[in-house]
Amino acid sequence: MSEKLTKALEFANYRATLNNQRAILKARVESLLSYSIDGGTFTIDPGLISFVKTLSDSGLETTVLLDIYKNPIQVDVKDFLTEILSRYTEATNDYHAEYVKLSKARSVKSLLDIDRD
Amino acid sequence: MFAHNNTEIDYFRMAVVNAMLIKKHLGTDVTVVTDQHSLDYVTQSIPRDQIDLYIDNIILNHKDSEFKHKNTKVYRDTINLQKSLSFYNLDRADAYDISPYDETIMLDADYLILGNTLNSCWGNKNPMMMNYTWQDINFNRKFDLDRLSIASITQYWATVVYFQKSAYAESFFTLCKNVRKNYAYYKNLYRWSGSTFRNDYVFSVAAHMLHGLSDKSLPELPFKLYKSFDFDDIHSVISTEEIIMYLEKHDSPGDFLLTRWSDLDLHVMNKWAINRASSKFLEISL
Repeated sequence: MSEKLTKALEFANYRATLNNQRAILKARVESLLSYSIDGGTFTIDPGLISFVKTLSDSGLETTVLLDIYKNPIQVDVKDFLTEILSRYTEATNDYHAEYVKLSKARSVKSLLDIDRD
Repeated sequence: MFAHNNTEIDYFRMAVVNAMLIKKHLGTDVTVVTDQHSLDYVTQSIPRDQIDLYIDNIILNHKDSEFKHKNTKVYRDTINLQKSLSFYNLDRADAYDISPYDETIMLDADYLILGNTLNSCWGNKNPMMMNYTWQDINFNRKFDLDRLSIASITQYWATVVYFQKSAYAESFFTLCKNVRKNYAYYKNLYRWSGSTFRNDYVFSVAAHMLHGLSDKSLPELPFKLYKSFDFDDIHSVISTEEIIMYLEKHDSPGDFLLTRWSDLDLHVMNKWAINRASSKFLEISL
């Protein structure tokens, strides 16, 4: 096998590993953006944050939100907003840091951070 | 968890490892349903006080010997090994009667708990939840496992089942027991193939019947079910929340992709792989 072909196959392996690690990272972030409270589960996204912020700005103290199952869940607006904002920021910051780390890795070994262990 | 060993797979050892992970990440009580033989075997390799540290409650069930010899399935350890072995899974439908808890999460012993995701289930408004959607952790692969057969209903996975002591869950398990008792009839009615008794099928039919023969009506768990397959392997155990996996490449049997997996629970279908990794898991837990 020529050296060029060997390098191309190594690169293909690296790209496949990178793509899979990126997909796994996305899965982890999705999990971090799931928030369960009082028997309900919410997916934290900009839409939910904006809606709850609007409710908070209008002076509402408690409200009923529909969770991912469309079950009605009563929440304290201010506390709920603080919690989802904090979780969203933490999750996306974590996502960004890990994404940058993956982008800088140039081999399968560094993608998996094997030396760390 | 339910853990019945066969001649090669030490399910109880897997359950001990998982119980340790559950204690670490979820902090909940753990009950394991097993048989005397499996318990005796595991105590030869794990001290009883270590088992008791992780498992709060061991319930001994008698095995139905006719079923034990009749029900087999093909176990694989990557592309290198394939064996037909006894698969004892008859008592899963009894979980509602057996569980000493108001709220229960029933798990396969090979569903490794690597994070605290399962804690999001407690107190849910839905009295029962299980998944039909799932995700292979080699995101390039695609297997058609969405239905019992091409012309049948959606397949639910009995890998993780959350239920509350409620009329709803009681009815569900009553239906499961009926499907178990009349397995051949339901197999014909719902048109699945294969001779192995599978709780995934039993639970799928019960879910379908409980909602007036309506598909996908039983709510899913609030998280995805992640899976690796029996042609994959565990490369190394890094910590109680992190492992590195060998994942067989799509369309290239015997070639692997390395993957670091952390914080999310994972169904590791290669039982030999878990048994090989079990010592490391137990070592790092101490």
